[in-house]
Amino acid sequence: MVDHTVKSYDKDLETLERHIAEMGGIAEKMVVDAMDALSSADVTLAQQVVATDPRLDALQREIEEEAVLTIARRQPMAVDLREIIGAIRVAGDLERVGDLAKNIARRSVKIGLEARVPRAIIGLKHMNDVATELMKDVLDAYAQRDVELARAVWERDAELDALEDSVFRDLLTHMMEDPRNISFCAHLLFCSKNIERIGDHATNIAETVFYLVTGSNLPAERPKGRHTYDADTTGTSTP
Amino acid sequence: MKPIGLEKSNRMSDAKAQLQSPGKSAEAMKDKVVIRDLNFFYGPSIALKEVSLPLHEGKVTAFIGPSGCGKSTLLRVLNRMYDLYPNQRAEGEVLLDGENILAPDLDVNLLRARVGMVFQKPTPFPMSVYDNIAFGMRLYEKLSKSEMDERVESALRRSALWGEVKDKLSANGLSLSGGQQQRLCIARTVAISPEVILLDEPCSALDPISTAKVEELIDELSSDYTIAIVTHNMQQAARVSQFTAFMYLGEMVEFDETSKVFTSPRDKRTQDYITGRFG
Repeated sequence: MVDHTVKSYDKDLETLERHIAEMGGIAEKMVVDAMDALSSADVTLAQQVVATDPRLDALQREIEEEAVLTIARRQPMAVDLREIIGAIRVAGDLERVGDLAKNIARRSVKIGLEARVPRAIIGLKHMNDVATELMKDVLDAYAQRDVELARAVWERDAELDALEDSVFRDLLTHMMEDPRNISFCAHLLFCSKNIERIGDHATNIAETVFYLVTGSNLPAERPKGRHTYDADTTGTSTP
Repeated sequence: MKPIGLEKSNRMSDAKAQLQSPGKSAEAMKDKVVIRDLNFFYGPSIALKEVSLPLHEGKVTAFIGPSGCGKSTLLRVLNRMYDLYPNQRAEGEVLLDGENILAPDLDVNLLRARVGMVFQKPTPFPMSVYDNIAFGMRLYEKLSKSEMDERVESALRRSALWGEVKDKLSANGLSLSGGQQQRLCIARTVAISPEVILLDEPCSALDPISTAKVEELIDELSSDYTIAIVTHNMQQAARVSQFTAFMYLGEMVEFDETSKVFTSPRDKRTQDYITGRFG
């Protein structure tokens, strides 16, 4: 795009984008590390993830401040306005992703050596791989203003929802097999919910990218991957 | 919406199609003025090229664009101001309630009573505040003293000036502050009950508070009048208008709802201009 007549305006926008990129990198790494910590019961790694979160929070605040200042100073219009609103939204989503990763890390510390049925984690790992991929793709889509890639992420979130369903059924089976698994599996249930939420935030970012580039919104309803499994699992309510 | 000559101009119907898309609100809108395939010449040089757009009744339409893009020229066509100068001519059609105001046999004075104009710099007459308002009315109507007093007061009230000048109606109009003078000019325009008001950068010589007062005034007036405003201040266009037309090099580049133009314009030139990227 052509530069602004006022050069410092371009610098403002560049700074915002750079900070979003930094947040994206941190959040992505937190998601990966949290899962690694969980699957290998690595308490040190888990604590590292928890310790990273404040940096993400600080960056979000910084981005909001910069955005507000830019609005006050430049009265942005059209694509610039969307850019700034987009940055605020994406920063909010990334901050939440960090929180969710932090939750998983905390839980992995709690679970510690109680890990009873290691194979129960395989499903979760798979979910996390998909979530990580969605995060990576959506951050690329943001950086490159790639609407198609954003839309693909938006559609693929259904995959994650479907996986969550199957993880849910899997964990339920373990719990029914042996009540001593319940505590451990309940922790994992929460983790799977967290991962599913990470996917939702990736979807939000995809929607923001779409808006930012086109000025219009993706449809309100996105494809659903969730089936009616919940209903036939012995009447237990959904997590 | 009146289907005036839709078949004749594609661009016109394009503009309409976009307006209709948002839904019912556009459906109920009436076109007070329809500009169709308008060309304008200053001697041999062309200043407006095939400009087509409607001015919706009871709405504010803002014209934006870089200097020399033809927005003031367009405004000057709407009340035939250009008639005062030789070698300036307009081609095409400008329909006011369906009547072509470019027709040579049209009574220009009557037209200007229906289409009032306020200029960039306040232009009060060198006479009392009262007479500034009464002057125009005397040209068109014979009113008794009490009727006249009433009309002057009502015009000043409508222009949000009454409270500030009611005790100095006999003071010279030029003794008022710049912002007051501009509102006096608006009052003068409003006094003869025009149908369309043209504002040519009405706030460019005013301080922010006076500007805010004039904007508030535009807001209030817009329910009764059809308003066209030329402004260099894009935030102002975004604030006061419901429709925005972006012009460039004598062409109408984009005409749409203001909310659309300032958040996601269709044309790249519009985007570059309103975001401050213009070459």
